[in-house]
Amino acid sequence: MCDQTFLVNVFGSCDKCFKQRALRPVFKKSQQLSYCSICAEIMATDGLHENETLASLKSEAESLKGKLEEERAKLHDVELHQVAERVEALGQFVMKTRRTLKGHGNKVLCMDWCKDKRRIVSSSQDGKVIVWDSFTTNKEHAVTMPCTWVMACAYAPSGCAIACGGLDNKCSVYPLTFDKNENMAAKKKSVAMHTNYLSACSFTNSDMQILTASGDGTCALWDVESGQLLQSFHGHGADVLCLDLAPSETGNTFVSGGCDKKAMVWDMRSGQCVQAFETHESDINSVRYYPSGDAFASGSDDATCRLYDLRADREVAIYSKESIIFGASSVDFSLSGRLLFAGYNDYTINVWDVLKGSRVSILFGHENRVSTLRVSPDGTAFCSGSWDHTLRVWA
Amino acid sequence: MEVWDVPQIKKEVESLKYHLAFTREMSFKTILETLMWIEDAIPKDLFLNPDLMKNNPWVEKGKVRILI
Repeated sequence: MCDQTFLVNVFGSCDKCFKQRALRPVFKKSQQLSYCSICAEIMATDGLHENETLASLKSEAESLKGKLEEERAKLHDVELHQVAERVEALGQFVMKTRRTLKGHGNKVLCMDWCKDKRRIVSSSQDGKVIVWDSFTTNKEHAVTMPCTWVMACAYAPSGCAIACGGLDNKCSVYPLTFDKNENMAAKKKSVAMHTNYLSACSFTNSDMQILTASGDGTCALWDVESGQLLQSFHGHGADVLCLDLAPSETGNTFVSGGCDKKAMVWDMRSGQCVQAFETHESDINSVRYYPSGDAFASGSDDATCRLYDLRADREVAIYSKESIIFGASSVDFSLSGRLLFAGYNDYTINVWDVLKGSRVSILFGHENRVSTLRVSPDGTAFCSGSWDHTLRVWA
Repeated sequence: MEVWDVPQIKKEVESLKYHLAFTREMSFKTILETLMWIEDAIPKDLFLNPDLMKNNPWVEKGKVRILI
């Protein structure tokens, strides 16, 4: 076998100065460009003030991270499981599939409940978005998207519209009509436009605004009527995979998680990241606020779920077992917040005691990865979607 | 080789300063309040109350008998 090492230089036209030189790849806002070494050096020093260097900025960032850990440690006087020792243990659970929704032709990627606690919207790799009456398992609406991999969908608060998107890089809103002669696709409104795939979307407290997350590393808030960008959220260093809005009583914030292993909490009005947590060891696939709004849970490819206390500004629990080695794709809390439901890539759903950190139940049924999971608005059931093409309602 | 984006690092520094200025609370206080919140909410949580589960619309009321 040849053991020589080769240095390969790519020659071509620089994307900035257009001169024919040896090129190197550079990344500007997640887009790859080819710059010559001179333009790359100039780019690296753009925006620096006097006495500022890249090294000094990086050093300042590291110093601030160290101070942040010190401040957090000062208020870390007790662990959650210690305080929870006095809490009574939970009894046995009997939870099973009550409904199976069949109809998608490929992997189910996302689902959301309507506020009426009965209708569900789901989206799939097959390019279809289906609205179900989950109680009767009837399909009420179906839309075929122009792309496959519809990775995100959401129900409007009024129940009169749905939003969806995926590999088309857009978030589109479809008003729901019960007129059989009306074509839903004809009423489609393109609201959000990202430069990479849409990974998550959620209406805010009204049908008028949508929050989106994208593979382009940003989140954004949009006006549905005009399609105008109201606020953008920059800070993730890689694809953003999930988001969740704070319960309306607790203020105008949301949390996002991404491939940079960070969970970030944002102020929706200013666009400022107000808190960030970087304790996961791999991509964060799902984030969900605690019902009180003072904490949130995350699910990650590192096979753990974690709980973060926003007021103490730290991670307070890790939900993991040695036997669980597959990623957690989706998490949600029961009504009281005592239970955490988590769907995994090993086809199972684990139910965790949030306070004691122990697993109280494991649910089998899906025949492929669980990709999405949401508790119903009244807490009477939860729905899971899977790569086995089905959705299941559990209670 | 990736060239660092100066605006990105500046944004990170600004974000870290903002985060450092955040007013934190003692873990014992916040955890205790979470426990109290859960205790108040448990009576309404169907998954934790077998009595409430009997009236859960998703749970079958009776069994099907097949007559041969």
